[in-house]
Amino acid sequence: MKNFNIATRQHQHVSILDISGELDAHTASQLENALKSLIDEDNYAIVVNCTGLEYIASAGLGVFMAYIEDVRNLGGDIKLTNMNDRVYNVFDLLGFPSLYDILEDEQEALERFSN
Amino acid sequence: MDTSSTDINPNQEERRSRFELRTLLETSRLLIESQEPDFVLNNLLLITMGKLLVPKGMILINQGSDKKYQVSKVKGRCPFSEGDIIKLNFDSKLLDQPTLRASEVPEVAGQMDLPDNSIFFNLRTTNHHLGFLCLGPKGNKSELTQNEIEFIESLSIISSVAIANSRMFQELRLINRKLDRKVHDLHTLLELSKDFNMMVDQQDIARTFKFAMLGQMLIRTFFFALEVEGEKSVVASSGLKEQPSERELERLFELDDVFRCDEAEHNCPFLEKNGLKLVIALRFQNEKIGVVGVGEPANKATYGEEEVNFLQSLGNLALLNIQKTYLLKERIEKQRMEEELNLAKTIQQGLLPSPLPTIPGFDLDASNVSSYQVGGDYFDVVETPDGGHVLAIADVTGKGVPASLLMANLQSMLHALAPIDVTLPEATSSINDIIYENTPADKFITFFWGKISDDGSRFDFVNAGHNPPLLFRKGEDSPRQLDAGGVILGAMPSMTPYDTSSLEFQPGDVLVFFTDGVTEAMNPDQTEEYEEERLKACISKNLDKSSSEIMQAIVDDVQNFSDGIQYDDITLMVLKVH
Repeated sequence: MKNFNIATRQHQHVSILDISGELDAHTASQLENALKSLIDEDNYAIVVNCTGLEYIASAGLGVFMAYIEDVRNLGGDIKLTNMNDRVYNVFDLLGFPSLYDILEDEQEALERFSN
Repeated sequence: MDTSSTDINPNQEERRSRFELRTLLETSRLLIESQEPDFVLNNLLLITMGKLLVPKGMILINQGSDKKYQVSKVKGRCPFSEGDIIKLNFDSKLLDQPTLRASEVPEVAGQMDLPDNSIFFNLRTTNHHLGFLCLGPKGNKSELTQNEIEFIESLSIISSVAIANSRMFQELRLINRKLDRKVHDLHTLLELSKDFNMMVDQQDIARTFKFAMLGQMLIRTFFFALEVEGEKSVVASSGLKEQPSERELERLFELDDVFRCDEAEHNCPFLEKNGLKLVIALRFQNEKIGVVGVGEPANKATYGEEEVNFLQSLGNLALLNIQKTYLLKERIEKQRMEEELNLAKTIQQGLLPSPLPTIPGFDLDASNVSSYQVGGDYFDVVETPDGGHVLAIADVTGKGVPASLLMANLQSMLHALAPIDVTLPEATSSINDIIYENTPADKFITFFWGKISDDGSRFDFVNAGHNPPLLFRKGEDSPRQLDAGGVILGAMPSMTPYDTSSLEFQPGDVLVFFTDGVTEAMNPDQTEEYEEERLKACISKNLDKSSSEIMQAIVDDVQNFSDGIQYDDITLMVLKVH
């Protein structure tokens, strides 16, 4: 199994996913399951903290694409924070910054959710 | 600098000249270092207007080779606002001049509401006309002096170079980014080909393909349909409002290989309802067996050739790997069957007597040449407690493990019954009833058995539907057929007792037991069977030989007839009386 970890925290009404390691074709389903179960439990304010994320492949990005609209239609959002430059570069290349709130710091995302 | 203006004293002229040089120097540094055309243009306009006290000016930027210009910057009263695109008819010959007076292009000047004494400064590099810096007259209505014009020309040249540079820089940045994107696309393809390779489940492959597409193309709506054994179905999808009906699925497979939904009639409501923009066919060995559809990218981009290529490459990669999983499944299935056949063969060989017992006064040999699929042939020789010997031959319907298990049943019954003092017909009835009760209606056994008496003089037998063994006796023209008995085992309960018959052995008697694998062996053309006549002829020719030689002669003759192609077990038992 590849090195990928995902943990969930709750900060008031915001759910925070801490993801770390390599998010690729083999580990994408773990992220999918985590997002699915948040949505199933009516948590639509989601922050994905990418502090430990070392690598992301297209399949990993695809998971975000698959759920963003559902979450927004339910009045929530998925905000991404704390990416390293290499990971950000992939998001940027594929045009994600125009669709997603990608923020430097988790705190910023929490503030945006509380406004 | 031209010093033709004589109304200014030389001292002042020099000071001014120095000032202009310094401005030129500072401006050029400012402009050259900037990589933003917007900044360059704004400064060019402000510096010239400020320095020459011109209240009205604008910058026009040529849009490609057309006569269209964009109003890039405007200061002062003007009929246009920044960003407007206007068409200006400059004579192309005039575009070689460094400056144009409004009076030379009255039509254009009028269009732009510029007085006659306005000047157009050509913004150009050696190869390209970039646009114009247009300056109206000075606030005090006086015309620009030659000196001032030359100063602005110099600034215009510097600015043009700066704009060209920054344009080139931006173009490079764009190319670089395109290249980065291309590299990323290739990387994705490479990585997925490795990932797919490790996957053996087609659902995994389809799902990974889906997510890679969503991420790579920035799309929300996606479907992937496959045709497997004539059945078309959607194997992965995202963001669909509803799944396609059977008719719509059929229609999707009929579309062109690269189908842009907005550009042609498709008569498939599914595409419209779900906002799908592009449908691409996927082929395996030139057969269309997959279809991928994608909705609009979230950044509203349109699908160009590169995107179509990428989609095709990734789709075909996924398809290829899905096909591979089917082949793998087939191979595993084949392997499993082969193992089963080996098992059947092992069971069968384990049931046959080895070594064959010797019977005093007789020369006995037997053999089973099993076919690839393992038929249900069986023979046995069992010594009874009274010193006699039971000889049996049987053929179970079916092949493989089921046949060999039924054969095992028969063998155990035979071995249980042989030592007990019951008559052959009684024992046959018991076996028949047990087989009948314990096997499905379509399972039968043709069975022949007989018992050689303890002194070896007599042979009692019962034939339950088996090919009658042949008895060759000296002085008799044709062999006798041992057919007394009854119905095959397992077909119906024993209503009437089995017949039995017996014979007295004579020296030189040859008794040949065989299964239908011998008589029904086919010639290579599959038009003719070996049949009993050939068997009889073969035996007759070899009667003088030993039992094993006779047996071998038959096997050789059959294999010669069928050219070595064997569909069923060949089982033979030859008993010769000394």
